[in-house]
Amino acid sequence: MVRETNRHFKFDWITIILFFLLVSFGWLNILSASHIGSTVDYFDFSQPYGKQLIFILLTLGLIVLLLAIDAKFYERFSSLIYVISMLSLVGLFIFGKNVNGATSWYGIGGMTLQPSEFAKVATALAVAKYISDLNTNIKNFGDQLKTFAIIITPALLVLLQNDTGSTIVYGAFFFVLYREGLPKYYLSIAISIILLSILSLKFGAVITSAIAIAVIMAYHFLSKKKLRLYESMLILIASLSISIGVKFFYQNVLQPHQQDRISLWLRLEKDPAKLQRMKQTFAYNLNESEKAISSGGLSGTGFMEGTRTTGKFVPEQHTDYIFSTVGEEWGFIGSTLVVIVFVLLLLRILHLAELQKSQFSRVYGYSVAGIIFIHFLINIGMVMGLIPTIGIPLPLFSYGGSGLWAFTILIFIFIKLDSNRINEW
Amino acid sequence: MAVNEKGILNRLYFIAGCMFVFGFAVLFKLFSIQYLQGDKYRALVEKRDVQNITIPANRGNVYSDKGGLLATSIPKYNIAIDAVVSPTKKFEEFVGPLADSLSKYSGKSASYYEKAIRKARANKNQYLLLAKNINYTDYVRFRGFPLLKLGAIPGGLIVSQNTKREFPMGAIAQRSIGYERFDEDGNVTRAGIDGAFGVKYLRGTDGKRLKQKIGKNKWKPLTDYNQVEPKDGYDVYTTIDVNIQDIAHHSLLGQLEYYEAEHGCVVVMDVKTGEIKAISNLGKTKSGEYYEKRNYAVWESHEPGSTFKVMALMAALEDRVIDTSTVIDTKRGSKRFYGRTISDSHGHGEISAARALEVSSNIGLATIIDENYSKNPEKFIDRLKSWGLNKPLGVSIMGEGNPVIPEPGDKIWSRNALPSMAYGYNLRITPLQTLTFYNAIANNGEMVKPRFIKAVKEFDKEIEVFEKEVINKKICSDKTLGEIQEIMKNIVVRGTGRKLYSPNFSMAGKTGTARTEYGNYEEWRKDRKYISSFAGYFPAENPKYSCIVVIHKPSTKKGFYGADVTGPVFKRIAQKIFTDTPLIDEVNSLDVKVASVQEEYNNFYETTKTYKTIMPNVVGLPAMDALALLENMDVKIKVKLNGNGIVKAQSVNKSTKLKDNQIVTLKAS
Repeated sequence: MVRETNRHFKFDWITIILFFLLVSFGWLNILSASHIGSTVDYFDFSQPYGKQLIFILLTLGLIVLLLAIDAKFYERFSSLIYVISMLSLVGLFIFGKNVNGATSWYGIGGMTLQPSEFAKVATALAVAKYISDLNTNIKNFGDQLKTFAIIITPALLVLLQNDTGSTIVYGAFFFVLYREGLPKYYLSIAISIILLSILSLKFGAVITSAIAIAVIMAYHFLSKKKLRLYESMLILIASLSISIGVKFFYQNVLQPHQQDRISLWLRLEKDPAKLQRMKQTFAYNLNESEKAISSGGLSGTGFMEGTRTTGKFVPEQHTDYIFSTVGEEWGFIGSTLVVIVFVLLLLRILHLAELQKSQFSRVYGYSVAGIIFIHFLINIGMVMGLIPTIGIPLPLFSYGGSGLWAFTILIFIFIKLDSNRINEW
Repeated sequence: MAVNEKGILNRLYFIAGCMFVFGFAVLFKLFSIQYLQGDKYRALVEKRDVQNITIPANRGNVYSDKGGLLATSIPKYNIAIDAVVSPTKKFEEFVGPLADSLSKYSGKSASYYEKAIRKARANKNQYLLLAKNINYTDYVRFRGFPLLKLGAIPGGLIVSQNTKREFPMGAIAQRSIGYERFDEDGNVTRAGIDGAFGVKYLRGTDGKRLKQKIGKNKWKPLTDYNQVEPKDGYDVYTTIDVNIQDIAHHSLLGQLEYYEAEHGCVVVMDVKTGEIKAISNLGKTKSGEYYEKRNYAVWESHEPGSTFKVMALMAALEDRVIDTSTVIDTKRGSKRFYGRTISDSHGHGEISAARALEVSSNIGLATIIDENYSKNPEKFIDRLKSWGLNKPLGVSIMGEGNPVIPEPGDKIWSRNALPSMAYGYNLRITPLQTLTFYNAIANNGEMVKPRFIKAVKEFDKEIEVFEKEVINKKICSDKTLGEIQEIMKNIVVRGTGRKLYSPNFSMAGKTGTARTEYGNYEEWRKDRKYISSFAGYFPAENPKYSCIVVIHKPSTKKGFYGADVTGPVFKRIAQKIFTDTPLIDEVNSLDVKVASVQEEYNNFYETTKTYKTIMPNVVGLPAMDALALLENMDVKIKVKLNGNGIVKAQSVNKSTKLKDNQIVTLKAS
C-alpha cells in the first residue's frame, strides 16, 4: 500500500528534466534574440524575453495544478474538453483577432490567446478516449471515419483561419492511429501520395507516370504476390490523376506565397536572377536563418555574441526562427545537443506510452509524442530549409505564452497519467 | 486482435525510427550548413561585412589634491587620403589647392605634397597618410581642406581616431601617476596610480556597436542603439600636491644627477592624515638621464641601515631596559660581537644612549640591543612586530614590497642577527614603511596608513571615498615618544644631521648610510656601494609633513653619507614648503608652465624663497618666468624686459627692498 501511495508522486523525472532543459535553454535564446541594447531587465514586460519569463514562471503553477488533478478527470471529461475547445475555434470567426494574416487569436485585455494551441491537447484527449472505448475497433471502417472526423474538425477550422501550419500538425495523429492498428495500406497510400506529389511537381506528370509504371512492373516481377492487370491499371490511373491533380492544386488552389515556397524548396526555379529575387523577398527569412546558422561554426559565437542575432537579421527570430539563434550562438555543438534532447524527450514519451496499461494513456502518450515530433520536424526543417516554409513554433523553445502553456498541459497530463499507471482505473 | 505483438513492436519501431531518422537528417543538414556549405554562406556576408565594433570607453582622469589635472585622455586623429576614389575632374581641380593647404599646415612645400598625392593616385594607393596624431582643432581644419571637404566620397578623406594618454605635468610624478601599456603580444604593464586603479576605476567598459561594411574603411551602424553602451572610467582624485611634488621631484633629480646615483626616491606624507603629498622615483637610464622607472618607494624592500636605529632605540626605551642617559661604551670605533667586528666611523668612547643615536653609533645601538635582548630576542622582535614592521602596509598601489624581520629559528637568524638589526642590517623594509613609522612619531604615536587617493568620482558623484585609516592608535608611551622626538631634533642640531641645520626652520630626522651589495667584501671594497637615506619630519615642533629620501649607489667620489647625499633633498623640501609659505600661491600658477624645464627649477626656487617685497635674483631664469615672478610680488613694480631668453642682468640688486612703482629692467639674451 505504501508503495502505491508513493506511486502517486512517482512522476517521471527524466521527462520533467528534459522539459525544463528545453524551456530554460529556449528562454536564453529568446533573451538573446529579443533584447535590445546592453541593458537587460529580465522582468521588462514590454519585451518578449520579459513576457516569456513570466509565462515560464506561471507555468510552474500550471504544472502543480495539472499534477494535482485526479488522473481520471482527464479521461472522464475529455469529450467535454474537446467540445469546448472546438467551440473556442468556431468563436474565432466572430471574435477573432487577425495577426499576420491568420485569425487565430482572442484579444483579452493586452494579451492574446491562441485557442488552436490548446485544441491539439483537446483533440489528443478526444482521440485517446474514442479509440480506448471498448466498442471502438480501429480496423472497422466506420470507426476509422469517426476517428478521422474528430481529427479533421479542428484541422479544418484552423485551416479556414489561415493557419496552415497548425493544420498540418494534426497529421501527427496518423502515427497514433498507425500504432493502434490502422491497416497498413493507409500508410502505403499516404507515402505514395506524398512521393507522387513531390515527383510530379518536380518532374511533371509524364515522367512521374513513367516512374509509376516502372515501379508497378518491378513490383509485379519481383514480388511473389502478383498484381492483377486491373489492379495495376487502377493504380496507374490513380497515380496519373494524383499527378495531374497535384499540378492543378498547386497552380490553382494554393496561394502565390505557398507556390513560391514549394517552388523554392523543390528548386523549380532555375533562373539565377529570379532565385536572387526570391532570396530577397519571401525566402529572406530562410536565407538569413541559414546564414546565421552557418556563422555559428563548431562552437558558436557565444551567448549574446551572435552578430546576426543581435543585429536582428533574422525576422521572427524569437518565435519561429529561434533555432537559428541556437545555430549561431551555440554552434554545431549546441544545436546537436538541442536535437538530441528533443529526440530523447520523444523516445522517452514513446517508451512510457508503451508501458501504459490503459489504452487511453497509451494513445494519449502517442499523441503527445506525435504532436511534438511534427512541430519539431516542421520547425527545424523550415529553419534549415529541409522542408518548405510553414510557420509553426518550436515546442517549449519559441516565444509565445499560448504555445508554451499548451505544450506544458499536453506533456504534464501525460506525466500525471503515467504516474497513475499501476493504480486501478 | 488482428495486430499481434510482433506487429505492434514493428509499428513502434517504425514510428521511433521516423523520429530518429529525422533527427539525423537535421544533424546532417546542420553539418552541411555549418561546414560543407559554410564557406559559401560566410562568403555571402559573414564577418567580413558585419562586425561588433568596439567603442572604446574614455579613460578617467587623474587629479591632484586640489583638483589639478595630472593625467587625461585626449582624442587624436590620423588623416589619410584615398587617392583613387576621386573622379579625375574633381581630382585635377582640387589637388593643387589641397597641396597648398597641406603646405601651410606643415611647412613642407606644396610641390612635395602634390607629387606625393599624384604618385599615390598613379600607384592606385588607397591610403596615403597625411597627418598623424593631430588634435581635434587640426582635425577640423583638415576637414575643411579642398578635396578632403568633399568627404570620403568623392574626396577620399579617411579619418581614424585613437585616444592618447596625456600628462599635463610632464615627467613629474609620471611614474606615480602611472599608466597602462600593452605591447604587441598583448602583455600589459601597469604602473602607479593609473595602474593600481586602472582596472577598477579608470578604465570603464568598452561599448559595442554592430556595423556593416559598406566600402573600404567605411562602416555603417546597423541599429540605432549600441549593442553595449560604453561606460566611461571614473576619475581618480589623488592626494598629490602639485607644488610639493614638483619640489620633491626636482630636488631629488638634482641630487641624483650631482651624485651620479643609480636610483632614488622621495616621499612626502601629511603627518595627520597620511596623505601622500609627493612621491618621486627616479632611476638612471642607459643614456644617463633620470626617469620614473619603478616605484622604488613602494616596491623596494632593502636593508635600511641607520634609519632603523630609531626603531631599535625606541624598542629599548619603551621596554624600559635603558633610559636615554644610560651610559654605553662605544670603545674607540671598533668592537667585536660574537667573532665579528662592528665599527663606527669615529670613536666616541662612553656616551649616553641618546647620544649614541645622535651620532649614529653602530656600536652603541648594537651594544644596547645585544646586552638587553640577547637572552630573549623574541621580546625585541615582538616589539618590532607590534609596530607592524614585519608586514606590508597594504597600500592601494600595486607591487608593495614585503618587509623581512628575522626571528630566532629563521635561516637568516644567527647570534649576530640581533646586534646587526640594531643598526639596520639583516632585515629589509621599504622606504614607505620606514616613513610610515617616522610619521607615527611625528603624529604623537598615531600610525596612519599612507594614502594615495582621496576619492573616486563619476563627474561630481562620489563613487568611493578613502578616509584616513589608523593602523596603530599609539605606538608607544608619551614618555618614549617625547624622548625620541627630542633625540631626532638634536640629530639635526648637533648629530649626524648637523650639516642640515638651519636657524630659520626646524626639522627632525635621522640619517642613514647603509652598505649594499656587500656579499663579496673584496669586490665591495674596490667599488663601494651605499644606500644613503634621510627620514624625518618638519617642523620639529607640531610637525606637518614627514618625508623620506633614499638614494642608491651615489658616486663615492662625491660622497655617500646620508647627511650629504639625501639630507639636502629633505632640507630643500622642508625649506621650500615652510620658508616660502607666503609665496606658495604664486608658485602655484607658475609651476605648470615651466614644468619641463627641469634645470632651471633649482635656480627658480632659490629666488622665490625670499620674501615678496625683496628683489630676488632672477639672473639665469628664463625671462618669462622672471617676469611672472616679479609681477606677482607684493609691491607693484614695473618690469622692463630687453630680449626674451635667459636673464643676464637685473637693474636692481638682489636682496634690495622693493618699492611701489619701482622700475626694474632685465637684460636677457
